[in-house]
Amino acid sequence: MITVGSTQLWVHDQDEALAFYTQKLGMEVRTDVTVAEMGDFRWLSVGPVGQADFSIVLMLIPGPPVMDAATADQVRDLMAKGFAGTLFLSTDDCNASYKELSARGVEFVEQPSEQPYGIDSSFRDPSGNHIRLTEVR
Amino acid sequence: MADMACAAGLSRAHFSQEFRRAFGESPHAYLLTRRLERAAALLRTTDRPIAEICMSVGLQSVGSFTTSFTRTFGRSPSAYRTAYPPAASHALIPPCVLRAYTRPRHRTFREDTANPQA
Repeated sequence: MITVGSTQLWVHDQDEALAFYTQKLGMEVRTDVTVAEMGDFRWLSVGPVGQADFSIVLMLIPGPPVMDAATADQVRDLMAKGFAGTLFLSTDDCNASYKELSARGVEFVEQPSEQPYGIDSSFRDPSGNHIRLTEVR
Repeated sequence: MADMACAAGLSRAHFSQEFRRAFGESPHAYLLTRRLERAAALLRTTDRPIAEICMSVGLQSVGSFTTSFTRTFGRSPSAYRTAYPPAASHALIPPCVLRAYTRPRHRTFREDTANPQA
């Protein structure tokens, strides 16, 4: 059986991303390890409370020689446009989650609206990643 | 406590009493247990300093944290951490990432150019 264990999001700043995903979205830290032998590479992952078998790896955009500067710029450009991948979050009450996250300072791009599949809304993380928050019916 | 009592529509004293009756321990004891469990998870899965873990779970005093933790888990936070595999074992760093990050940075010949398309 194959399941989804983790997915990765590029981030501009891991501390900033960590604060956003834990303090604003209410996720918990799953792993936070800095490896000196890898030039202080930091493996940082978070996940939803109550969903222990899934985590999101918050990966810093590397510099050369891991990623050449031109490619890193392309990744940053795509992120700024919200085209570097989307995280689809589920909620049992989109309007309540919208109010809760807004009160914590999350700026929504799309307010909750009725869609054929439920109630959907969206916002972006501090790095520009597109996140949807959906109440699926 | 005040917020939880308010959410339950009870006075603080009544909330505390009813909580204890329903769950067998005071709200304070329950909260402390949850904080210590969270701290234990962070000791196993992160390499953050113990003082930072103490603060991040909402406790103010490292001394009190150490005492409460030791009472609950039977060993100090540092002994607890060393009893488990290192946190790095939880980092699922793929071999390709490991290789990329451990390549020598200063080579005498340059197989990489600033612009690989050039």
